[in-house]
Amino acid sequence: MAKELVNGCIAIAESAVRAGCRFFAGYPITPQNHIPEYFSHRLPEVGGVFVQGESEVASINMVYGAAAGGTRAMTSSSGPGISLKAEGISYLAGTQIPAVIVNISRGGPGLGSIQPAQQDYLQATKALGHGGFKTIVFAPATLQEAVDLTYSAWDYAERDRNPVFILMDGCLGNMMETVKFPEMKEPDRNSTSKWNLYRAKDVKRSDRVLSPYFPDAILEMQNKSRNAMMKRWAENDVKVEEFMIDDAEFIAVAYGIAARSAKEAVICLRKEGYKIGLIRPITLNPFPSKSFNKLDYSKVKGFIDTELAIPAQMRIDIQAEVLGRAPIYEYCRSGGILFDDEAVYSNYKKIITEASGNGI
Amino acid sequence: MKKTLVISGSGGQGVMSAGIIIAEAAVDSGRNAVYLPEYGPQQRGGTAKCTVITDEEEIVSPLASKCDVLIALNSQSYSKFKKAVKPGGTLIVNSSMTGQTENIDGFKIINVPADDISSSLGNIKVSNIVMIGALLSSGADIIGKEEMTKTLVQKFSSKSGSADINLEALNAGINYREK
Repeated sequence: MAKELVNGCIAIAESAVRAGCRFFAGYPITPQNHIPEYFSHRLPEVGGVFVQGESEVASINMVYGAAAGGTRAMTSSSGPGISLKAEGISYLAGTQIPAVIVNISRGGPGLGSIQPAQQDYLQATKALGHGGFKTIVFAPATLQEAVDLTYSAWDYAERDRNPVFILMDGCLGNMMETVKFPEMKEPDRNSTSKWNLYRAKDVKRSDRVLSPYFPDAILEMQNKSRNAMMKRWAENDVKVEEFMIDDAEFIAVAYGIAARSAKEAVICLRKEGYKIGLIRPITLNPFPSKSFNKLDYSKVKGFIDTELAIPAQMRIDIQAEVLGRAPIYEYCRSGGILFDDEAVYSNYKKIITEASGNGI
Repeated sequence: MKKTLVISGSGGQGVMSAGIIIAEAAVDSGRNAVYLPEYGPQQRGGTAKCTVITDEEEIVSPLASKCDVLIALNSQSYSKFKKAVKPGGTLIVNSSMTGQTENIDGFKIINVPADDISSSLGNIKVSNIVMIGALLSSGADIIGKEEMTKTLVQKFSSKSGSADINLEALNAGINYREK
């Protein structure tokens, strides 16, 4: 199949269709409106259903219902709308219903700005809703990666019976880039029998979708298995790009659009002899611990957390891996102001120069 | 080679369409392209800007600080973004809106009365395509005439008659010479 020029929202939406997504419900918000717009004509073409809900709350609950009927379902929004969906996402996790949720993120807090930002990192990775559940969080940095991650998202969600979250900034969501879409996939629906209410007639009592859980001991048992699932993620499901870190003295850490600028800066600085590399988490949760722990800390002079978020949010995850073995510097913007390549390059250079005294 | 083009003007002048058409033409001819739109909440009248980057290689970052070519469709955009052009770069200006702009040392400035040209063709909406024509003959080497013509025909052939007016506008832009 030939390469196509599409925007980030359409990359996700078309890839979802090809992954077998047949239900979408959502409520408009910039900068993700291309997703529902695209689904509104694309889903009926493949026998799917598109609903523009009366609100975010209604939409996430429609996804809950469709997914509980065994359909591959998704919703999308941006920061303020994701907050409204929090209750429904927690219910999906609580009843172990797989679905995919996309956040094309913008400046915050509050109504914030419609311009791109990465200020929903903590929300996405630590607390998408109440009750202490987590999801796998994918953070694409190119539109091809957005296509590939979306295509696989339901496979993870159904394997784990847990929602999967895609966090992509509004810059990637609205820019156009060349992608190659995968073939249409016909997912195996027999594997959905554990939660699919359409098929639940002949399954065991324990296979039913339940919420709430009585007695409490059952819920604790569930939470223990959820905990074990998260440990399996950390072991098996980490996706990361490591770029020139083997001999690096300084290591930029960035994801999504920020990582594109960071990589450009690393390439430029390498040409000038600076020993700098990049760790780019592709899964924000599970965070790529091994990439940090395999480093030789007698050589590493510092990390540069590079985010479109002030205060920096990913920093706490970097801190938890670095454990004081090297200083963590920051270069961040926020509120809808994007990086520009020259500024990232010159700020990295400044940080390195000041940290190491002689520049190299 | 990585080439960065910025197009800016007022919402409604076809800034985004021009950017997408150029990016599509680059992709049709086998190169990589990134198109990055920037605009505020206004649909019409606010400043609209887009960046198009083309390269034979992988495009690492789309957040370029400086551009090789600026296409400015109005005065505001010209004053705002002329500083973003790399030394030796090209500025193509819609002189119907800005008046004749003065030369700046070390830059190539091309004045094109795009609104006058498009009006004389009978449709002011194709001013953006006139400017693409001017880009093709500017020597900026972002996109070739043949590939742009092919993309325009493909894009507009389904809309009756609009391929013709767009091609006329493209050729008028290509053939325009400053007096």
